[in-house]
Amino acid sequence: MTFAKRYEDPPEEWGVGRVDVDGEVTPWPVAQRDIDDEADSLAPRLAALGLEPGGLVLVVAMLSQAVHSVPLERAAGRIGALYSSADSTPFDAFRVAALTRQLGPQVVIGITGGVLDGLVDADRDPVEVLGPVRSVVTADEDAHARLRADGLAAKRWVKLGPTSAVEEVAGDGPVYDASRWRVEEHGGELVISNLAPRLTHAAALRTGIRGRVVEEGRLSVSVSA
Amino acid sequence: MPRHEIERVREDRLLGDLLPWAYQRSALIREAWDAVGVTADDVQSMDQFHERVPFIDKNAIRAFRDRNGDPYGGMLCLDPKMTEIFSAIFSTSGTTGDPTPAPYAGRGPSMLVREFWELGCRPGDYFTYCLFTFRGPGIHDTIRGIGATPVFVDHQPADVPQLIRFSRELRPTAWYNLSGPLVLAIEQYAAAAGTDLAEAFSSYRGVTLAGEPIGPRARRRVEDGWGLELFVHTAVGDVGAATECREHNGCHYWEDTCYLEALDPDGAAPVGDGERGELVSTTLLDKIAPLVRYRSDDLVRITHEPCACGRTHGRVWPLGRKGDEVVVEGRSVLPGDLWAAIEAVPETSAGLFQVIRTRREVDRLRLRVGYAAAGGRARGDLRTRLTESVHGAIGVEPDVELVDNDELLRQGPPHKIPRVAKQ
Repeated sequence: MTFAKRYEDPPEEWGVGRVDVDGEVTPWPVAQRDIDDEADSLAPRLAALGLEPGGLVLVVAMLSQAVHSVPLERAAGRIGALYSSADSTPFDAFRVAALTRQLGPQVVIGITGGVLDGLVDADRDPVEVLGPVRSVVTADEDAHARLRADGLAAKRWVKLGPTSAVEEVAGDGPVYDASRWRVEEHGGELVISNLAPRLTHAAALRTGIRGRVVEEGRLSVSVSA
Repeated sequence: MPRHEIERVREDRLLGDLLPWAYQRSALIREAWDAVGVTADDVQSMDQFHERVPFIDKNAIRAFRDRNGDPYGGMLCLDPKMTEIFSAIFSTSGTTGDPTPAPYAGRGPSMLVREFWELGCRPGDYFTYCLFTFRGPGIHDTIRGIGATPVFVDHQPADVPQLIRFSRELRPTAWYNLSGPLVLAIEQYAAAAGTDLAEAFSSYRGVTLAGEPIGPRARRRVEDGWGLELFVHTAVGDVGAATECREHNGCHYWEDTCYLEALDPDGAAPVGDGERGELVSTTLLDKIAPLVRYRSDDLVRITHEPCACGRTHGRVWPLGRKGDEVVVEGRSVLPGDLWAAIEAVPETSAGLFQVIRTRREVDRLRLRVGYAAAGGRARGDLRTRLTESVHGAIGVEPDVELVDNDELLRQGPPHKIPRVAKQ
């Protein structure tokens, strides 16, 4: 089979990412249509954070988190915006600082405690770096607490099984797509099932995240992964 | 493709298409050319290209950026806000701490499909994609373009357990990329966990080695001990990439995509085929931010002799950075010249070291060498053995400062460490 034919007709599996299931890293194959559908779902939430046509979102994540980060990148395109990328490590904190200064993103999503450590180690003040950004969204509790303590109204990005819940500007809890996912609380832990078709089925999957469903589509999270 | 046909394609693309476009649209190119009174009309042959087209370098790009407040350094030929063309803005690795953004208009697989096929990947296979996020989706699209499925792994010591696990469970046939620091991390993990790496990695037919090189001894450990066939992979002057074939005799680059020159590092004269020179690169395809006669600071050897594999495109051997060279006792020394001598000593077999370079010409060769802190012989003896090993290899006796391996690894990024330090 030729390259051209393979490109027109690639394998159903878009890639093998990973999802935390009950505290265990689990290989998680996804299809192109899964990524596209998640991007469709996330686009309005990025817009709600202030991403506009012609704007830019900086997605800070690891390659192993592609199942969660790539839909955010594709969602930017749905809005007519661009995206840029940096790793969520102390090593790559310099890139977060440089791209934030050079490109002026409207949204930076995925800041971790490690990134903040990297900024501090490089003698950069995280508030000075991230303060000009319209919406800063954190990927762990450490970063969220530290930025809040420093006076930044940081929001949360929670990797909820194979999907994402993202807090909006009002900051009243991460929002998930209730038309595509059912989230329930079992013994204080959030479990998730897919309602929309997905290559890898999630049936009452234990996310390892402590929290509760405040209302359909909105969570209160006490400890995020 | 015969050499004359390669050269015809190159001239058509460069003279007929790329140069007029770049001169018209790239503010940096136009500024550099105007400064020496050259226009696109003045360059109608390769001889005129060599005689008249001025060089640019990273400093020129940064100076333009700072002077004009243009994050792209005057390189862009199109408006990056054209979202019908661009989807993203990525950045160079920024090893110096100063990454340059680069708009991305990729649509589908890159030229690397040729390399991935050579690695042994075939449609339906799994492919270990072990890299960073800031390179963008090009590699992913290329893996998919060959009909394989990417398995995402972080290029991080912390992700080594998953790398080994996914290798065992999914049996990938190819892996992009391995680097010197990752080799060290895998060795450390395997030693602690009792992992049989030859068994874990037995499904791989080929693995690219990029970022931080490894010395010959480490390469033998990986190839003989782990059973991996390594294919050295290198960037060529920010206009493309070059990768070894199964002959492992130089990295092939594709002359229908870029034009590479090897020039006297201190001048403009070309060096002979296969001789050490500075890599000067020109894209033949990039219409977004074209580099034209870009002095890369990389020292290389280039040959246009046909390879035993049958390819007629050029081959390049990366030797080091021009800015990394020190001259001591009249001898030119690059970090690559020291590798084998340092990794030959058991406690420093990881090959982690830095040349202390206060200026190009120095009275003494000063080295900072990382060693495995746990076990091993006494440090005093180690310094003596290292000194003798380096002296035996290059004929220069070094002053050696010993530090823990981790102290050097912390200087990251994860795929390489700075091989030269000012102090």
